Amino acid sequence: MLLIHCPYCKESRDQSEFSPAGEAFIARPKSPEGISDEEWADYVFYRTNHKGNHWEQWVHTNGCRKYFLVERSTISHQILQVAPFGARNSETEL
Amino acid sequence: MRLAQHPSHQVDYSKSLNFIFNNKRYKGFEGDTLASALLANDALLFTRSFKYGRKRGLMTAGVEEPNALVSLEIGGRYTPNLKATEIMLYDGLSAVSASNPNAFDLRAFIKPLHRFMPAGFYYKTFIKQKVWAKVEGRIRAFSGFSKAPTVEDVDVYDHIFHHAEVVVIGGGAAGISAALEVLNNSQKERVILVDERNQLGGELFNEFSSDEAAKTWLKDSVNRLLSFANEDSERFTLLTQSTAYAWHDQNFIEVLETITTAESLTSSEPQKARKIVHRIRAKEVILATGAHERPMLFEANDLTNIMLSQSVRRYLHEYGVISGKKVVIYGNNDSIYSTAKDLHVNDIECIVVDVRSSDNPIEIVSELKDSGVKVLQGYSIVKALGSHRVKGVEITQTKLQDNNWQVFGDTQTIICDLVATSGGFNPVVHLDCHNGAKTYFDEVSQSFLPQQERDNREVCGAVAGAGAWQDAIIDAKNKAQFTLNALGAVSKLKQEILSENYSNYFNVSQFFTPKEILNKQKVFLDLQNDVTTLDVALSIREGYRSIEHIKRYTAMGFGTDQGKTGNINGIAVAAELLEIPLSELGTTTFRPAYTGVDFGAMAGREIGDFFDPQRYTTIHDSHVASGAEFEVVGQWYRPWYYPETGENMHQAVHRECLAARTSLGMMDASTLGKIDVQGSDAREFLSRIYTNAWMKLAPGNCRYGLMCNEKGMIIDDGVSTCINDNHFIMTTTTGGAASVYSALEMWLQTEWSDLDVHLNSVTDQYSTIAVVGPNARKLMKLLCQDVDFERENFRFMQWRQGTVCGVDARIMRISFSGELAYEINVEANYGRYIWDQVAITGEKWNITPYGTESMHVLRAEKGYIIVGQDTDGSMTPMDVNMSWILAKDKPFSYVGRRSFSISALSAEDRLQLVGLLTKDSSTVIPEGAHVIDNKGKSIGYVTSSYFSPILDRSIAMAQIQGGLAKIEETVLVKIVQKKQGLKEIPCEVSSSVFYDIEGEKVDGND
Repeated sequence: MLLIHCPYCKESRDQSEFSPAGEAFIARPKSPEGISDEEWADYVFYRTNHKGNHWEQWVHTNGCRKYFLVERSTISHQILQVAPFGARNSETEL
Repeated sequence: MRLAQHPSHQVDYSKSLNFIFNNKRYKGFEGDTLASALLANDALLFTRSFKYGRKRGLMTAGVEEPNALVSLEIGGRYTPNLKATEIMLYDGLSAVSASNPNAFDLRAFIKPLHRFMPAGFYYKTFIKQKVWAKVEGRIRAFSGFSKAPTVEDVDVYDHIFHHAEVVVIGGGAAGISAALEVLNNSQKERVILVDERNQLGGELFNEFSSDEAAKTWLKDSVNRLLSFANEDSERFTLLTQSTAYAWHDQNFIEVLETITTAESLTSSEPQKARKIVHRIRAKEVILATGAHERPMLFEANDLTNIMLSQSVRRYLHEYGVISGKKVVIYGNNDSIYSTAKDLHVNDIECIVVDVRSSDNPIEIVSELKDSGVKVLQGYSIVKALGSHRVKGVEITQTKLQDNNWQVFGDTQTIICDLVATSGGFNPVVHLDCHNGAKTYFDEVSQSFLPQQERDNREVCGAVAGAGAWQDAIIDAKNKAQFTLNALGAVSKLKQEILSENYSNYFNVSQFFTPKEILNKQKVFLDLQNDVTTLDVALSIREGYRSIEHIKRYTAMGFGTDQGKTGNINGIAVAAELLEIPLSELGTTTFRPAYTGVDFGAMAGREIGDFFDPQRYTTIHDSHVASGAEFEVVGQWYRPWYYPETGENMHQAVHRECLAARTSLGMMDASTLGKIDVQGSDAREFLSRIYTNAWMKLAPGNCRYGLMCNEKGMIIDDGVSTCINDNHFIMTTTTGGAASVYSALEMWLQTEWSDLDVHLNSVTDQYSTIAVVGPNARKLMKLLCQDVDFERENFRFMQWRQGTVCGVDARIMRISFSGELAYEINVEANYGRYIWDQVAITGEKWNITPYGTESMHVLRAEKGYIIVGQDTDGSMTPMDVNMSWILAKDKPFSYVGRRSFSISALSAEDRLQLVGLLTKDSSTVIPEGAHVIDNKGKSIGYVTSSYFSPILDRSIAMAQIQGGLAKIEETVLVKIVQKKQGLKEIPCEVSSSVFYDIEGEKVDGND
């Protein structure tokens, strides 16, 4: 059970309030019809399953219902940072 | 036997308590554990062992006890498999051995055969021979554990959450010292001290009779802690009788607090929580969990009254109890002399047997010898004598040569009735390892010590290797300084000097594992699971090398004690036999929970009505009054059918269906998910997430939509209503409402944040009443005067705003039955009123309420799918023959569209949804039955199957490989009947639309 800081509520809350929502930065292809089956399958099915520090999406389901970004170590479960969506182009190299 | 009263005993001799154990009455005192009270009454036998049925008594005085498993109380207060050493005595307590030592036991009777029952015996004898199923019940009855509870637990259990800067685990000398150091040197840091025993002090009580300083220090320190707890309760929380049983990521610690009072456990009604799970989130953790003594190994070392040396001391000092008159104290470290001294002071005859030679004389030995205690150095016990209770020991000379123990010379017999052994100490590293730490083997202390450096954690006292209590206190202070520094409370570290060799665990010698002893029978390692040294040897002969595999082959450490006394000895034996160093073999993995946790405590208050929310529509009471049977859909309680007097479900559904088809039915459809979609891009949003076109849907109209995920699989369907260009109300399936809502939010927040769309769940805000049947229009005209219901003015898939019985309503002309139907949506609180008005007004057409079962029949007659029943997350719109709903010319590639062109999704042998008509029209196939080809191989299965009253025959829907190309072919459905066995039912594959194929009924007949 993790303690997760919601960047919108600005509070650290119990994991039971949140739901994981998969790897972050999986962008939907701009033109799905214009890409190969392999590229489409890569978007739909394939995930890095990274061992180490990993960016993922969480949603504050039983709270503000906002999706946000979490950098978490998949080894120690330590949460290194959280960020709202749209922060990707700001000073941090998310 | 109880000694004369002494002020250092921790029992209150003025408070006598009565209790019952194995149907016999006993007396004890306030402050006793069940174990100490029984020892005081000379009731030594506790249990029969797991495999061999050997009679066993207490080995320890604490949480590590392998033998003394009992069940506490009866009926709704019953708790199985508790350790007698952990149960604080209360007046009226009743307990029973997990397996009665006094009952006849077949296993003990067949004693001569025990050597033919080594590790792997059950597997090789029963499972490999495939007779396990026949004998399992009888073998399990011998398991040596309490019976499972048979009635519901009446007790209450609670969960409490805490946040703290520092959690100190363990309330012995080190833990007390660490907690005080933190409290004294910080201002607002919150501290929680957790200890498994009922009073702070740990092993320190053992020093009381010989060391006045220990007594003074403890009294003073506990008082200071208590004053913090009383005066500054925000900062300091003390949890006693509380076991930290798990340490998870991010310093999340779970603690089980046991509350036993006579009032709470012997009264018929639960008074307050019996146990509480404390969930603590800590910034810093200080582990002061101490160490468990490990036993020495010799033949028949499991006889009753062979105990651990420190446990004998603890019974003596804390409870004034001793279970023998002539004691042999045996071990490989200096702590045995302290035990001897304490016994001698209390006038109990004792002899010390030390495996170590007399090469390095220490003061206490000569002191003991001078006072007349016999000390044998360089001797070892090879065998205990006696059949159940130890009657003596055989000793022989021993010496350490080139790191190998050797036993030699003639054996001598010493008569005794109690043996106290100490084979060194195992630091309690369990919690640290739960949270990912490693251990390392330390040659000096001959133990697996916790990993040295870790973030946010310090270890101090005996768990860090300290032996003497004075060293533990200083060590704890020093480590607490590091914790304070990490919190920023102190900048300059104060460190006190520790005595030399403080961490050698009383000059412990290396593990005493000479081959001469390991090769004997009945040298027990794990007493709870009856694992001996020969079992470990066998596992090695069978080829196991990893300690994890040896553990699993022998079942060593699998018991409820998790091998706290036996595992490390077992590892040492395996290392000896494998001829590799202990450091190379390592330990098995320590996993939560450290001790047993009651299921009731885990569940807490989330049981019964609090287990899951129950949702009711506002019309619910009316359904109850109508005698409806309910089914749970999602969390909703939906009317299933409305039986009239004497009707069964089949008869009720038959009547309800015919009413809706021939005159008038009504249904509570309020549970369908409703999502309010608003914003200037609402239309664009719907057209991205549904497969069909939405750009031209004018206000006043409704449209059915099918929703897929990006894999192209159907996830939901429902009708959306265009209120105006910027406002739609989407309906979802009852069960899918929450997940669809979440999925829509995800698209809007993570992918299409540029769209101006706002969502709100309004499921609970509206009540929906469906009025269904050829007379629906006539009824609506009576109910609502301000809407034009004429067929050509209010068409199918349109909606109108109106006033129904004086209440504002949105009326949708949509149908899930194929009949003329209207859905009246009103603000939820008017639901019951409108429902009752509809029922009264509809009486002239014999309006009939129907439930979910009739709804299913009606929709199946029309071939309408139910997402989640006729689809399973692997069905595309093409698979359910709904290609018509896929828009071809939408500019935006809607969710799932790209996947449709992947070749696998157009394969000919995909499961496709078709209708099935049994050749014998009265046979209703069970749902889930397999459709088979002429070779008997499954080619699909039945998803929906009913008897259709209007068609007077059975109908079914099935997913069949390439089904759409098999229309009019005959297939077989294989079913299992209770009596007749397997049966194959011939069916014709058909269209899944069975009734009103032309769709003429939807306009009604007026």
